[in-house]
Amino acid sequence: MSAKRTMTLNLTDREMQVLEHLAAKKDLSKTGVMKLALRLLQTVDERIEPGKKLLVEDEAKNEKSELIFL
Amino acid sequence: MNESIVYLHKAENNTFVEASLFDQVTDEHLAMWSNEWVPVMKKHVGDLKLENAPEDSHWDWKKKLAEVGHLLSYQSFALICEGDLQGLMIVSNVRSAKIQEQFGKPIVYVEFVSTAPWNRVEINKPVKYRGAGRIFILAAIESSREMGYGGRVGLHSLPQAERFYESKCGFKRLGPESTHQNLCYFEMTSSQADLFCQNM
Repeated sequence: MSAKRTMTLNLTDREMQVLEHLAAKKDLSKTGVMKLALRLLQTVDERIEPGKKLLVEDEAKNEKSELIFL
Repeated sequence: MNESIVYLHKAENNTFVEASLFDQVTDEHLAMWSNEWVPVMKKHVGDLKLENAPEDSHWDWKKKLAEVGHLLSYQSFALICEGDLQGLMIVSNVRSAKIQEQFGKPIVYVEFVSTAPWNRVEINKPVKYRGAGRIFILAAIESSREMGYGGRVGLHSLPQAERFYESKCGFKRLGPESTHQNLCYFEMTSSQADLFCQNM
């Protein structure tokens, strides 16, 4: 197991509400949600280059919309 | 990098032998793949028609690891026994479950898994070691549990391996998916993962 480091995270009420909602929905701890978010952001950030888009596809409606990513 | 002791069945003398499962594929493992595994596979494929060649025979593990090895969302595994590389696997951990009862919850997804050519009955009869496939599924389940995903695992299976995942491992078959070359998607719930581990 890799060595682990601790950090403190200060969240607003609204941010905490979202975090708690996601933790319940994803069946994860709040720490688990934050780690998942970090993994996702790194993965997407790696893939998004100039000229590339991240799309969300609705198969039922045959619609695609671009997901804006920082 | 962690090393776990696991056991493979050695067909030659019908015994179980100690093996090491590493939770990170290293350059040394890739050199073993390149020097020992690839020549055997190439010799087997030889003049075979494309449709008769092992479905993963063209996989380039060095290239795959170079693309995803640095990302937190991917994890790689190597299985070593008696000094030789017996299998490789890459999993990802940012996909969502598709089975209704766990829909939207994160899973560990098996991106690629292969066993060495001398462990395949269509190439080497009798095979050298049995059990690599089950060890990799166990590793995926353990990874899922460590992530807090409760053992949930999913994968798209090559046609030759479908029966193994459904009958031997207890995955639920969800059907072919056009977004994945019509490969059949399989998924395991937490309780199915518990059952698989009990039967190991």
